[in-house]
Amino acid sequence: MSTLSLSNIAVRYKGQLRPAVEGASLSVDHGEFVVLTGRSGCGKSTLLNVAAGLVLPERGEASVDGRAIEGPGADRAVVFQSDALFPWFSARDNVAFALRLRGIGERQRQQTADDLLRRVRLEGLGDKPVWEMSGGMRQRVGLARALAAEPAFLLMDEPLGALDALTRERMQTLLLDIWAPGNLGVLMVTHGIEEALLLGTRVVVMAPDPGRIAHTFEAGFSRRYAAGEPIRSIKADPAFAAARAALADAIFEGEPA
Amino acid sequence: MTLLQAERGRRELAEPEMSTVRSPYSQTSRRELSSRTISAITILVGLLAWTLITRLGLVAPLFLPPPQDVLAKFWTVASRGFVDATLVQHLLASLGRVFAALVAATVVGIPVGLAIGTSRIGRGIFDPLLEFLRPIPPLAYLPLIIIWFGIGESAKVLVIAIAMVAPIALSTASGVRNVQQDRLNAARSLGATRRQVIRFVVLPSALPSILTGLRIALGAGWTTLVAAELVAATRGLGFMIQSAAQFLVTDVVVMGILVIAAVAFVLEFGLRWLERRLVPWAGRD
Repeated sequence: MSTLSLSNIAVRYKGQLRPAVEGASLSVDHGEFVVLTGRSGCGKSTLLNVAAGLVLPERGEASVDGRAIEGPGADRAVVFQSDALFPWFSARDNVAFALRLRGIGERQRQQTADDLLRRVRLEGLGDKPVWEMSGGMRQRVGLARALAAEPAFLLMDEPLGALDALTRERMQTLLLDIWAPGNLGVLMVTHGIEEALLLGTRVVVMAPDPGRIAHTFEAGFSRRYAAGEPIRSIKADPAFAAARAALADAIFEGEPA
Repeated sequence: MTLLQAERGRRELAEPEMSTVRSPYSQTSRRELSSRTISAITILVGLLAWTLITRLGLVAPLFLPPPQDVLAKFWTVASRGFVDATLVQHLLASLGRVFAALVAATVVGIPVGLAIGTSRIGRGIFDPLLEFLRPIPPLAYLPLIIIWFGIGESAKVLVIAIAMVAPIALSTASGVRNVQQDRLNAARSLGATRRQVIRFVVLPSALPSILTGLRIALGAGWTTLVAAELVAATRGLGFMIQSAAQFLVTDVVVMGILVIAAVAFVLEFGLRWLERRLVPWAGRD
């Protein structure tokens, strides 16, 4: 059982007076799905990037199982909003990228990549150039590419932010299916209130100026999905609507109307 | 029905859906001519003017030979040759020099561009050197190259290569600098080392820009050709034109110019074709 832990993190970007993040502490256990949400500019992406090792904090400690995070690493694979796929590779070669970096042979790479493409429901599309794919398909290739690194933690920065509403719902189910077996800790940034509640086992609300953690909600809806309850019935639960209203209040707290 | 009316009618039948798709730069509707048609008309008008001027005797053939003379000369030089070599031999000599220079300039230019784009030190070293080299006209450094390297083939290739290095290095550098930050981060977060990031992400990202650089370089090299063949060449299109000029064989001069232009055109389209094959994703991603 692995734990990703951020403690008392402060980040200040060059040339900025106010820190982007100040005194934020957070931990993600294996099997947890932690969602970071909040208004624009509250530092949620910055905090995720600290966990990824892409941003080094000015103060505070970022570590995995007590080992300090000193840079990016395959134990914490990242999925980006822009999908950041490599258009010069086919879908399969994109997925197999982490394996290629480790010097794993062509046949083994292909097989693993095709298995992962099946898992993200892109079976048989391995040879397709990614620049011919729709936004939803590309995002699924990005997800499969991150999973190929066999990370302990999956870090996702608004992975569904650029998708249309229908595709988004389908992707939410897919993310839950990927997480449900419990062998991954997930940290995800989103603007979507409903998405945060539906996916997160814990929802962390951040507030801006300076970016800090304002509230933390425990949410059980994704566990209910993992236990077999359909999404439709979860969303129809009055408890879901009540939690949604409470979360919205927390996010917009202190915001002039 | 005039030709233009026929053209319009055909377009209306063939591409009715085209009228709804408009380019943001030129608003072509099916009632207007495409720029390609306009280009063809321009060329035709130019040829017509050339024919008329010579036919009416407005300019002596010594200054401007009529098109049919130039065409006839093309066949003579192609079959029997001019200054001891046929047109194909001249052409191959020139192409050989330009492609040797292209290979040399690529081998130097891409690593230099990579160094400028990825490292502070590389940038500090090579940026001023390139900015110094870039604006110097080939005719200005030609004497120095001859003093240093003599009048052999390598000096000619070098003159052309020098003109090619800067465009290749600078476009490589700009391609490298414009790599999407997210792609670099993605590769690093999947465990790529610095070398792997350069090999699998930076170079392929920069490839469209590198190919554009090669296209510009080939153009620059081709324009340097006449200068490179000024001294002690026995073959080559540039040499052919100069020899013809010395004996006032104007039709060979004009023919040589047209051949140089035509080859440049073919090279340009060859490279564009290569771009479509190698980087079909460029501009669409």
